[in-house]
Amino acid sequence: MSQSEIAITVNGTERRAEVEDRLLLVDFLREHLGLTGTHVGCDTSQCGACTVILDGQAVKSCTVLAVMAEGAEIRTIEGLAEGESLHPMQEAFCTHHALQCGFCTPGMIMAAVNLVDRHGPDVDAETVRHQLEGNLCRCTGYHNIVKAVLAAAGAQRTPAE
Amino acid sequence: MTEQKKGGIPTPEDGSSPAGPCTDLPEGWAYDEGASGIGPLSVELFRNIGKPLKRREDHRLVTGKGQFTDDFTRPGQCFAAMVRSPYPHARIGGIDASAALELPGVVAVLTGSDAEADGLGPIPHNPVPSTRFDVKLRAPDGSMPFIGPHVLLPTDKARHVGEAVAVVIAESKGAAEDAAELVEVDWEELPHVADSLEAITDSAPRVWDETAKNTLVDSSFGDQAAVDAAFAAAAHVAKAEFHINRVTAVTMEPRAALADYDAESGRSTLYAGSGGAVRQKRELAQVLGIPQEDLRVLSYDVGGNFGARNRVYVEFGLVLWASRRLKRPVKYTATRSEAFLTDYQGRDLHSRVELALDADGHFLALRADNISNVGARCVSLSPLSKGSGLITGSYHIPHAHLRARAVFTNTMCTQAYRSSGRPEVTYAIERLVDIAAEEMGIDKIALRRRNLVPPGDMPYRNAVGSIYDSGQYEANMDRAMAIFDWSAIEARRAEAAGRGKLLGVGLANYVESSIGTPKERAEITLSPDGRIEVVIGTQPSGQGHETSFAQVVADMLQTPVERVRIVIGDTDKVSLGGGSHSGRSMRHAGTVMAMASADLLRLARERAAERLGLPPGDLSFEGGAFSGRETNRSVTLAELSTEDDPLFAARTNEMHAPVFPNGTAICEVEIDPVTCQIGITRYASIDDVGRCINPLIVHGQSHGGIAQGVGQAMWENCAIDPESGQPLSGSLMDYGMPRADNLPFYDCEIAEVLSPTNPFGIKAGGEGGTTPALATVTLAVLDALRAHGVRDISMPITPQRIWQALSDAGATAFDRETAET
Repeated sequence: MSQSEIAITVNGTERRAEVEDRLLLVDFLREHLGLTGTHVGCDTSQCGACTVILDGQAVKSCTVLAVMAEGAEIRTIEGLAEGESLHPMQEAFCTHHALQCGFCTPGMIMAAVNLVDRHGPDVDAETVRHQLEGNLCRCTGYHNIVKAVLAAAGAQRTPAE
Repeated sequence: MTEQKKGGIPTPEDGSSPAGPCTDLPEGWAYDEGASGIGPLSVELFRNIGKPLKRREDHRLVTGKGQFTDDFTRPGQCFAAMVRSPYPHARIGGIDASAALELPGVVAVLTGSDAEADGLGPIPHNPVPSTRFDVKLRAPDGSMPFIGPHVLLPTDKARHVGEAVAVVIAESKGAAEDAAELVEVDWEELPHVADSLEAITDSAPRVWDETAKNTLVDSSFGDQAAVDAAFAAAAHVAKAEFHINRVTAVTMEPRAALADYDAESGRSTLYAGSGGAVRQKRELAQVLGIPQEDLRVLSYDVGGNFGARNRVYVEFGLVLWASRRLKRPVKYTATRSEAFLTDYQGRDLHSRVELALDADGHFLALRADNISNVGARCVSLSPLSKGSGLITGSYHIPHAHLRARAVFTNTMCTQAYRSSGRPEVTYAIERLVDIAAEEMGIDKIALRRRNLVPPGDMPYRNAVGSIYDSGQYEANMDRAMAIFDWSAIEARRAEAAGRGKLLGVGLANYVESSIGTPKERAEITLSPDGRIEVVIGTQPSGQGHETSFAQVVADMLQTPVERVRIVIGDTDKVSLGGGSHSGRSMRHAGTVMAMASADLLRLARERAAERLGLPPGDLSFEGGAFSGRETNRSVTLAELSTEDDPLFAARTNEMHAPVFPNGTAICEVEIDPVTCQIGITRYASIDDVGRCINPLIVHGQSHGGIAQGVGQAMWENCAIDPESGQPLSGSLMDYGMPRADNLPFYDCEIAEVLSPTNPFGIKAGGEGGTTPALATVTLAVLDALRAHGVRDISMPITPQRIWQALSDAGATAFDRETAET
């Protein structure tokens, strides 16, 4: 099995490792770095539980090889809160009961953070629903997830707007 | 009828009395505040119960610090991969592992012969529901049914696609998977059967050589003579046949297990998320033939259950066994494809129903013939049993007769799946009521109104013996219709038609039973620092027990909720407990926690009396402290606890009487008649959950339940190719799921009609969303397509099925388009 050296910046820290070329980014995060907040829920890139942000884009880390992320900056659920204070999206998920079992939550939150970055504070429910179509949740029926994302997005509006 | 008093639901031999108000309630049915030791509840002192408190579980889960099974790693662990049957039915001639064993990193390949040699037993499933109030299901000859031994790895033959026949252990996941592909199995394909209607025939291939037929259960309930007489006298009989299709839970966390063996102590530890660690420990110890003390099971965060995780899986036993043989930790995590093949699946019920009515539309009698497909082995008869007790739904039907059968097939085993058995029979009765209304020319709401069980008849014994505890069924319907804005339907229909869309509305009433394992235990310790630890044997998988249970204990002990910590999921701490299923947790845990709290307060009162030098009866308890009446002396609970002798109380409670959550749901759909695209535009529901401890959580349960029911009605299906017997839904690419963009916001409200069976009046809140949803969606679609002559459609209602139904009814795409313009 051929191996490669990689250097990836994860949540602001550069991580170097020698990995099998076939290693998936999600397995690199979970098994090599112990960042088990990113989850694996399927094997066909359908569920989105493994969503992380790679160079500003939400990606399903089960569909990216670790070697493909060479030199990239990656943000995972573990890198979202600033110390003790939660990211507004994490806060909104708690306030709106947007999670039950919590397994899809890290991927859902990363996708949500990224969609609000891309669509801005005035994003509407239909766009949120469309953008989260690739993140499956079996517990919430999405109702409270969509509410949480809209609330977190709206909270980003500056008072001047 | 003393027999009934003792036994609850009448057994088939009893015959039964006509349905109506229950005047001979079984002993112990009603809650007795004196006998429980709780005494009168100080409802006015509740500070947390009934409040939408934010969940305390959430912080770890939103920061990536959850502890799901696959997150655990043990030093030196190796990985297991399964060799699975590619055939639905095939004899195992031999297994050659030599090529697999030569692959670098492969540690062992184990087969069923090895398991037999090591004396492993089958999983001791106890599929026949056994509480006093479950209907009694028996084999055709009246004996206990043969269930098909569930050995970890079979030696004779594979009985469904995906059945594991060997396990490979290797140093890496990749090596294990590579090696599993190199294991050669000498297969002899056998004829197979997947559908239960085919499986009950005499000519069907037999799943088990041990039995003459595939039918393992054949029981009848109700008063057949009375039913026959009612049908003979009926002004109208409505008939229908339904198949409530097979679906699977798709828990977002695939099942996983990590076994660690400590050779020094001879003890195994299993990290495995489930529906209750206590059952897993008990049954797996039996499989391995080891004392229960030698097994510790840990179940922390569980990524969804919905029934699928309640029973033991072979892989859990396999990693435990392998780790004991190899003296190394062994981990197994299912792929999603494996989950689709081998997670316990749900539903798959054929139901033939007939309803007799008089000329005014009063229901006279019901006949039902239900056939449950249990798969290759019988893991649970809960779906058939639960449904059997509820065939008459929310309606007063004086007489009913049911034949309930269960049958083996060459498919994955079925199990209780969200609202086990109840959505199936709710679907049948609600569709039948709509059919009767149409055939008799009676408004479907008026027909329902005429026949709903009235509140004055509660507690009500239905025609198969279930005792509905409480509820205001007609008020539910009225309230749901108000939430939905029922009177605006015709205007909305016209507006949709203007956009070229067919709009339809479906309403379903439901009543369901929450029974579940009757025993639960709570241990409460109050430390000198005022912190309270509660050990309880339920197992949440997203239901928020750490929050809602804390709300109960905090109010019972009148302390801030932040001080209460709920301990679950470690069998070294939790000695007894029924796990979480059948909506049992809040009711059982709430009751036993209240009892243990009362015990703890009694102990505290004695200590306080001693401390204050006053008679215990002279003390009042308020705000977490005892004080002497008309004195200024008081002492807090924390002050009555010491490190050496903390305030502690433990209580085990057994509670048999079931409760019957109920409600109404209404769905609106819009269908594009040309593309047959279907969208849900509105969904409203009212759920009577009894006392609601945390409305935030209960609403969340309703939402998720609705999505799961809608999912089955619209997209989900464990399809099997009838020719090859191959499952066709092997991944999320070919199993349709509820997604963020195909569901609406829901309008859900809660009704709180308190149940007389337990101290808080709790019913259950986890399954009411699902129970009526299959019916509401289907009825809405049929309402939309009625004008085009469509009278029947089966689930899942995909655009293709709608197109087919319209074509069969003779409505061409052109007709459909022009009809609306």
